[in-house]
Amino acid sequence: MGAQPLIRVEKLQKHFPIRLGAFGERAVTVHALDDATFDIAEGETLSLVGESGCGKSTTGFAILNLHRPTAGRVVYQGRDIATLDEKAMRPIRRDLQIVFQDPYSTLNPRMTVGDAVGEPILFHGLCKRSELPHRIERLLADVGLPPRFAQRYPHELSGGQRQRVAIARALACQPKFIVCDEAISALDVSIQAQIINLLLDLQEKYGLTYLFIAHDLAVVRHISTRVGVMYLGRLAELGTRDQLFGEPLHPYTKALMSAVPEADPVAERNRHRQILEGDVPSPLNPPPGCRFHTRCPIAMAECRTIVPEWRDRGEGHFVACHAVPA
Amino acid sequence: MSERLLDVTDLSIEIETRSGPATIVAGIDLHVDKGETLGIVGESGCGKSLTMLSLLRLLPNKIRVAGGRAEFQGRDLLKLSRRELRQVRGGRIGFVFQDPMTSLNPVMKIGAQLSEPLIYHRDMSRADAWKRSGELLRLVGIPGAEERLHSYPHELSGGMRQRVMIAAGLACEPELLIADEPTTALDVTIQAQIVDLVKELRKRLGMSVVWITHDLALIAGLADRICVLYAGTVVEDAPVDQLFATPGHPYTRGLLASIPRVSGSTMARLSSIGGTPPEPGRRPSGCAFAPRCPLAQEVCRQNAPALQPMQGSSNAHRVACHFAGRLMSEAA
Amino acid sequence: MAFVPMSVPVPDEAPVSLWRDAWSRLLRNRLAVAGLVMVLVLVFAAAFGPMLTPYDFLSQNLEARNLAPSLSHWFGTDDLGRDVFSRVLYGTRTALIVAVVVTAIAVAIGVALGAVAGFFGGLVDRTIMWFTDMTMSVPNLLLVVVINASLKTPLSQWMEARYLVTLNPFYRETIWVDFLLVFGSMALISWPPYARLVRAQVLTIRSRPYVTAARALGLTNRIILIRYVVPNALGPLIVAVSAGLGSAMVLESAFSFLGVGVNPPTPSWGNMISDGLRVWQHYPHLLAAPAAVLGLATVAFSFLGDGLNDALNPRGSK
Repeated sequence: MGAQPLIRVEKLQKHFPIRLGAFGERAVTVHALDDATFDIAEGETLSLVGESGCGKSTTGFAILNLHRPTAGRVVYQGRDIATLDEKAMRPIRRDLQIVFQDPYSTLNPRMTVGDAVGEPILFHGLCKRSELPHRIERLLADVGLPPRFAQRYPHELSGGQRQRVAIARALACQPKFIVCDEAISALDVSIQAQIINLLLDLQEKYGLTYLFIAHDLAVVRHISTRVGVMYLGRLAELGTRDQLFGEPLHPYTKALMSAVPEADPVAERNRHRQILEGDVPSPLNPPPGCRFHTRCPIAMAECRTIVPEWRDRGEGHFVACHAVPA
Repeated sequence: MSERLLDVTDLSIEIETRSGPATIVAGIDLHVDKGETLGIVGESGCGKSLTMLSLLRLLPNKIRVAGGRAEFQGRDLLKLSRRELRQVRGGRIGFVFQDPMTSLNPVMKIGAQLSEPLIYHRDMSRADAWKRSGELLRLVGIPGAEERLHSYPHELSGGMRQRVMIAAGLACEPELLIADEPTTALDVTIQAQIVDLVKELRKRLGMSVVWITHDLALIAGLADRICVLYAGTVVEDAPVDQLFATPGHPYTRGLLASIPRVSGSTMARLSSIGGTPPEPGRRPSGCAFAPRCPLAQEVCRQNAPALQPMQGSSNAHRVACHFAGRLMSEAA
Repeated sequence: MAFVPMSVPVPDEAPVSLWRDAWSRLLRNRLAVAGLVMVLVLVFAAAFGPMLTPYDFLSQNLEARNLAPSLSHWFGTDDLGRDVFSRVLYGTRTALIVAVVVTAIAVAIGVALGAVAGFFGGLVDRTIMWFTDMTMSVPNLLLVVVINASLKTPLSQWMEARYLVTLNPFYRETIWVDFLLVFGSMALISWPPYARLVRAQVLTIRSRPYVTAARALGLTNRIILIRYVVPNALGPLIVAVSAGLGSAMVLESAFSFLGVGVNPPTPSWGNMISDGLRVWQHYPHLLAAPAAVLGLATVAFSFLGDGLNDALNPRGSK
């Protein structure tokens, strides 16, 4: 890892106020994300995994300031961008892009593929109008689509093709960093592999940095440099892929890994699975102390009251757990 | 020799379109033996859910069975009278749907929803049915089962709701439980709970299970046998070990190869299947997979291959590919 | 395993825009085409009808009163000997003008308020929606009757007074008062549904991922509104406008029937129906002709509206 990270996330927090009751008389807070601290190194793929409601997508949105963080810093090029308003953010958005999960709703149905891909180029003044068709053609080629697709509308494309267009659009302003928010989760198995390969190719070609948000651990293992595991709005563990998959430290990470089925019937039959009891508690009212203690097989007294410290246990392997020795 | 419970032969399903009927399921053959778990694997639009829905005549509007038989315990399900059909639905065959959110009636208590089929199918009194519902909830591992009977669906978590759905499917002790992607909407740790539950229940109740999914990894540890569907036909049918060890159809091979492996080298490109599956109702002539198949020859575009036992393999392993044998010898 | 990824085979079809696609779907819908043809006939009748008939809609012929339909008077004549066909044709013009102007005003008010409410949300939204609900809760006819009854006489008197002072011929035509009151009061009761529709559209579209995606690209609010929100909100609005034109015609007839709409002698289907109703036992054609045309016009717009709805929502119709 280089000395200077591309993005430094410090104590990032996002709470959503919502109103409940027939007249909105009960104001409550969704603790979507608390105290996230980590670096994203240039050229790496950092994956965030966890179950629904764990805050992984919120982290992506908060880093890009698409949801304004309620506390904490996001340092990019020496500047805290977490507090910037929409206007100040605009020139920075060029560098920091996002690809969404649902390829059916991330493209404006009234715009052709060419218009969709060309729009950010023109808006940010990245090339002359006369060069635009050529530029669009090159971007489409980058994502493996023939030039004639420029005239098509999103509804004429398959899910995989739409996701290619969404990627081309994200690439259009030559970003440094792309958040892939469940970017392959909605695709069919045979198409997922195509898109993963495409993302890897583009990373190699343009030196991109990815924040890859996913719940499919097999995919994450395949493409990540480092992996972060989240549970109920907090980071539980973060380390290199080998650290995390080879010697997971946090009990939740272990349970998560153990729950993932593998495409091998013989191994599956002989495997001992550690099955977690119960459900994830509500983020409206997260448990005190360690948020995992209600389901943790090794929970101790202090886990119920004291929030475990987020600490490097050596070689950049961060864990937040009282049971893990320093 | 194991006993046949369900035998589907040459089942075809059509959808009505503006330009006439279009075939979405084209002559499916599959069977389920007593006590067996069959995995039906395929991508979206391959007809896996429609095939199972058609057995209980639950097809949506404008979609209908165009031909074929579906014998369940020796009787053709597709020819039953409405009364007989009601006996089968929920009584002999239980169904668990993908989305527990929308398949439970939001304005009815859990207990009442579970009791209904018992009162109807088993002639139980309301009180007995309620008691039995409590036992069912305990069976599917819901803590505080008796109190939960008074809950409404929205008061339960997604995993709990799916357990209730399974309890409803099991209410009348069916011979066959059809589960249509029951864990797709759930998280992995909850999925593991549900898979474990179904495995255990099957052992305890001795029923057969059909598990529809797109997830090969999930089905690997669950099924005895797997049918792979592509564009409305069965392309491969094999015992689970043989399917993963010696897949015969190029589509199955492609699917398996596109799953990232734990042992595989990382950052390497995955093998992938080019192109996209045909849209439902727009099947190409000949072998439906031919346009995406690296082995396709002229014969594949002309003739649809039949499902036949693969050469050099047991009779239980059947593949619908003109070059299934060749493929094996190349791989050997 | 040698599984080589191949180039993606793509069917080589001409690209179709959503609008053109919707248009071709509309043409495949028989009822919608029937509605469209009828609407076009109405528009043609309104534009050129009065020039094509040999009779003037106002000229009385006391020798030929209450004639039954015949070759020379297709729909017969009324109690003043006026040609009913000519009057119905002219009534089409009245009906269409009223419908178009009223709907235009209502849509303008509704879109503006709805878009502002949906886009800004919060207090602005709540205030506008409160006002909208208030308007909707007042009984329509009552409101119109009150407006007409209280404003008509003073306005007409004011016009007369102005005419006497200025001798400007504009002030002599009290028909402007009629139109102003009819249009104004009808628009006043017709806009709330448009406001609600547009607000709901803007609200849902604002939270669509493609709008977030556009924000992520750094696009400005103005561009997002113009290129993302508005075009996607247009479809349902077109459907609503088509249906709204039909109901505006019915509304106009209803008001004229009650005597708070367009005043005689300007022919309107409503006041023709009102006149015909008094003598329908003796001269049924006087009632039948305008009523039938009004019915056909309403049906035409509702067919067209339904067809547009299906055409613009391909997923809903499947």
